[in-house]
Amino acid sequence: MEAVKSTPKASNSGKKNQNGPALENKKLKALRENAPFLVMIFPAVLVVFLFNYMPIYGVLIAFQDFMPGDKIFSPDTIWVGLDNFKRFFSDPQFWPLMKNTFLICIYGFIIGFPLPILVSLMLNALKGKKTAKFLQTIFTAPHFISLVVLVGMLTLFFGRYGLVNNIVEHAGGERYSYFLESSAFRPMYILSSNWQDFGWSAVIYIAALSNVDPQQHEAAILDGATRFQRVIHVDLPAIMPMISVMLIMSIGGLMGVGYEKALLMQTDGNLAVSELISTYVYKRGLTGVPDQAYATAIGLFNSIINVILLVIANTTSKRFSENSLW
Amino acid sequence: MSEVILKGLKKVYDNKVTAVHDVNLHIADKEFIVLVGPSGCGKSTTLRMVAGLEEISDGELYIDDRLVNDVAPKDRDIAMVFQNYALYPHKTVYDNLAFALKLRKTPKDVIDKKVREVAEILDITQYLERKPKALSGGQRQRVAIGRAMVRDPKVFLMDEPLSNLDAKLRNQMRAEIIKLRSRINTTFMYVTHDQTEAMTLGDRIVIMKDGYVNQIGTPQEVFNKPVNLFVAGFIGMPVMNFFDNCKLLKEDGKYVAEIRGVKFVLDEFQQKALTQNKVEPCDIIAGIRPQHVTVGQGELTAKIEVSEMMGSEYNIHANCGTDEVVMLIPTVDLETDVSMGKTVNFTTRPKLIQLFDKKTGNNLIWYDAESSEANAPVCKSYDF
Repeated sequence: MEAVKSTPKASNSGKKNQNGPALENKKLKALRENAPFLVMIFPAVLVVFLFNYMPIYGVLIAFQDFMPGDKIFSPDTIWVGLDNFKRFFSDPQFWPLMKNTFLICIYGFIIGFPLPILVSLMLNALKGKKTAKFLQTIFTAPHFISLVVLVGMLTLFFGRYGLVNNIVEHAGGERYSYFLESSAFRPMYILSSNWQDFGWSAVIYIAALSNVDPQQHEAAILDGATRFQRVIHVDLPAIMPMISVMLIMSIGGLMGVGYEKALLMQTDGNLAVSELISTYVYKRGLTGVPDQAYATAIGLFNSIINVILLVIANTTSKRFSENSLW
Repeated sequence: MSEVILKGLKKVYDNKVTAVHDVNLHIADKEFIVLVGPSGCGKSTTLRMVAGLEEISDGELYIDDRLVNDVAPKDRDIAMVFQNYALYPHKTVYDNLAFALKLRKTPKDVIDKKVREVAEILDITQYLERKPKALSGGQRQRVAIGRAMVRDPKVFLMDEPLSNLDAKLRNQMRAEIIKLRSRINTTFMYVTHDQTEAMTLGDRIVIMKDGYVNQIGTPQEVFNKPVNLFVAGFIGMPVMNFFDNCKLLKEDGKYVAEIRGVKFVLDEFQQKALTQNKVEPCDIIAGIRPQHVTVGQGELTAKIEVSEMMGSEYNIHANCGTDEVVMLIPTVDLETDVSMGKTVNFTTRPKLIQLFDKKTGNNLIWYDAESSEANAPVCKSYDF
């Protein structure tokens, strides 16, 4: 009996021993097969690691009493825990900054998110493909204008002695300083941003629409669908996965508005609404007497909000649709 | 009544390419007509013109005596099944079937009744709540057919509906379409490049090439009475054997076909037909179907290159001078050795030889000049 019992044990252990090298061989074989691709991807991974991941350790200064010239890791480092964050929460600028950033982002999102979708659907529904291409080029071109030039154009149009004011004056009205008025900042900022980017953002949807099977449209035509109904029942569902992904990514970056354009458009007159988290971080971290630890804490706080929004958006999308980032 | 009449239908694209030339076709009520031909022959374009998906460049299209050239597709009372199903991927099977009716604002209870009826006929009731991606190719094709059926169309158009299926499923679905046809009993226009589908499904077959109709006829007619070389070569599997450099002679007042130096005195019907057509002795291309070859007899000889035993028959590829000859020989009572490398004698019955004019490629017996000039070529009929 013992001999009988021992036989399978022996064979099992033998199998284990055989499986080990076999698995290793398999991995080695896969590595050898993929070697050219791994070599090709290495520079990209290196760049991402050096410029995207390595600098992350710099966020540590948000938890330090850090002065320019200090080393992040040194025996003299003073760790202050969450003091910089507490300072920001009790800063009189905290709520105005939060409000300004949130409003400019949410208004921008409400107008800017559906606009490229509508444009792509309209361009796709156009019968004349040449006209569609022409319009697409016209719509995409503003994306390549630099922010400085764009703000320069805004000044030329809406400045006190700009085109709009000249027309208003000719019509018997009074000149108006749009750049000095708080109420004009957000509309100018958001509309000009959307004007600049709606065509570019539409490209991704146009690409997705080009994959729609033309026979689906023909089937819908025979079913009696109008052009609008075809957009609703064929085109829109076809780009819905793309819309979901873009929505998640937009919500994830909702509070991540850049500082450059706001700074360029900022005047004493509109400062109450044009001071955003990003402009405040720039000013506190790089101008006057730099307080980099404080600026980093504010930036980190902003990033955490973005991550939370991204997770919420992704989870919601996963629950209510079949699309999610992960 | 749901007749479809195509009068001189023509399609010229913007780049001046003419895809369809003057097609004349009268499809009777409840007839199943199949358009068949090689890729680029204009069969799908013709169907799409009937559907209203392609503008008609010239000619007239009537559905039920109503000129529909400028009528929108949805108002033509037609339904179409597409090659790659064209189902709405985000809708369930139920919604796919119900979509056309919903657009027509049909009451919900009527929609539900119709959808379930059709689902029952097509045996897809259990999949009504599924989305197309969760179905197999065959099930998707059933849904596509069902989507057309719920509308009770006057004309049912099918554009290569079985081409995306594997061979086994294609045979199965072909049988389903035959059954379906007997149940819904409407006019069908079916496009395929598969001659087996054409032969098994069609009441009549329209054979097209380069935008021209080459022959319109029943499956038997196009098989037995091909009007030209193209039809003879296109219909039939394996394809017809053609013997070049043959002669049609007249000896002692009788027509004789000379193939590879062997003379075949044509049968009485052929004699009469050729006489009526006033055919003079000329160079011809002789056509013999592989099924009509008999081995072990006759004076024609061929060396067997490939011999495939198919069970009930041998599929033989042999060399007869410069021509390759394919023979389908039943295994029953076969006494001749047909193994590879052997040289065998073979012959055929003279009445089964097709005679094509070498210059025009037209069948000397079945080509009908009158119908061909009218762009509705059919095989010639004789009183005798």
